Amino acid sequence: MPETVIQNPSAAVGVESRLRTHIEMLERRLRQRDEQRRAMLHILVDYEQDRRRLARQTERLDSSRRAVLHILQDSHKDKLRLEASRKAMIHIMGNLRETTAEVQRREQELRDKQEQLVQAGKLATLGELTTGVAHELNNPLNNIGLFVGNAVDLIDLAVTEKGEILDELRHAMQQVSKATEIISHLRTFGRAAPISRVPISLREVIARALSLMGEQLRLREITVTVDLGPQEPVVEGNAIQLEQVFINLLTNARDAVAESPRKEIRISGSVGSAAVEIAVADTGGGIPRGLERRIFDPFFTTKEVGKGTGLGLSITYGIIKEHGGTISVVSPPGEGATFLIHLAAAPADTRETSP
Amino acid sequence: MTTTLGVLIVDDNPALLQALPRALRLRMGGVTVETADSAAAALERIAVQDYDAIVTDIKMPGMDGLALLAEIRARRPDTPTLIITGHGENELVVRALRGGACDFIQKPIDRDYFVAALYRAIRAHVLNRRVKDRQLALECCAEELERIVQQLEREQS
Repeated sequence: MPETVIQNPSAAVGVESRLRTHIEMLERRLRQRDEQRRAMLHILVDYEQDRRRLARQTERLDSSRRAVLHILQDSHKDKLRLEASRKAMIHIMGNLRETTAEVQRREQELRDKQEQLVQAGKLATLGELTTGVAHELNNPLNNIGLFVGNAVDLIDLAVTEKGEILDELRHAMQQVSKATEIISHLRTFGRAAPISRVPISLREVIARALSLMGEQLRLREITVTVDLGPQEPVVEGNAIQLEQVFINLLTNARDAVAESPRKEIRISGSVGSAAVEIAVADTGGGIPRGLERRIFDPFFTTKEVGKGTGLGLSITYGIIKEHGGTISVVSPPGEGATFLIHLAAAPADTRETSP
Repeated sequence: MTTTLGVLIVDDNPALLQALPRALRLRMGGVTVETADSAAAALERIAVQDYDAIVTDIKMPGMDGLALLAEIRARRPDTPTLIITGHGENELVVRALRGGACDFIQKPIDRDYFVAALYRAIRAHVLNRRVKDRQLALECCAEELERIVQQLEREQS
């Protein structure tokens, strides 16, 4: 090519400019390459960084994978265990159904037994009442005999005055109804009756209990005061059972004050917004320290053998509990015992039907 | 026997205090029956009146029949006292008889038995009194005789 340049100068100028152009182009390319190379270097550095990051991530991923594997293994075991548990559960459910049936049967049995116990308790209370009641019956019977005898005598003596004879017979009738009252009360009390719940006034219940106990308390010179406040203490319950509660408490109080210089039984009560509270307090020797809880136990008694059954207070406790109430005792040293009864007050709208 | 008899009945039962006096009036002619409804009331009556017989119940509030019996024995030892007891109260009966009761009547009261017992008690009481009176009279006579004998002896000597 240079030989060609020498041979033709004009051509040489062309060649030269072409060469320059060519060189410029080459230089441009060289610069471009250089830039490209530098850019490439950058990319390489970036790539290297990415690669390292990736390696680290891979490593993390790997450990995660291992962890997941472990977890999967564990979960499998758990699943097996769960299956076993489920089977066990089914078994238990079966047992539970049987047990429930058994419990229901036992509950029924218990209810039956409780009714029997209530009846036995009433008979025990009656037994303790018998002596006093016999005395109470003996009086009207004796009087009937005397009044009727007088009437017979008057007729024998041919007294024409009817009034005198009628007077004797009327007196006899009064005594008959007195005896009948005592007997019918005892019969109602002793009868096994379904346990019903009706609104009743404790004022009447206490009066009935006192009518049975009155003679015994009077003969023993025991003063009984009843102060139930102005409001009627109405609760929902069973009149006979609640009467039994007060007979039992009065019997205990009667025995407690037997040796006391001051013989008093105080029944007080108050009606709160939701509850009726009745306190039966005596002036007896009180309850020895530490026995406050035991006195409600069945067959626990501090009385002499043959004097008490030990059932009175446990029956009382049972009845109050059955009525959804509570009974407790306080007996500060040197003072008598006070039994506190709390019962839910009957709703106001049911009180109209109170007997 | 004296014409009018005085009897006191002590019992805390008001119906009995109505029935028993009437029975006595019907069965015993010429009897005055008074009543007391407690031992304390009875003692008040006894303080002012000497009865031919007293009939008392055993079981009474306050002072009972046995305590009343002891009081009567102390204040009016001559007055016969009868005790009314319930059926089967044998222990009380024995205590009453030991305490000086002259008889006992069981409830329910048998009217014939009661009237008979009361008559018996009163008759015994009256006879006792008569014996004492006679004894006193005899003692007086004996003293009189003694005096006469002494006087005769003095006159002879």
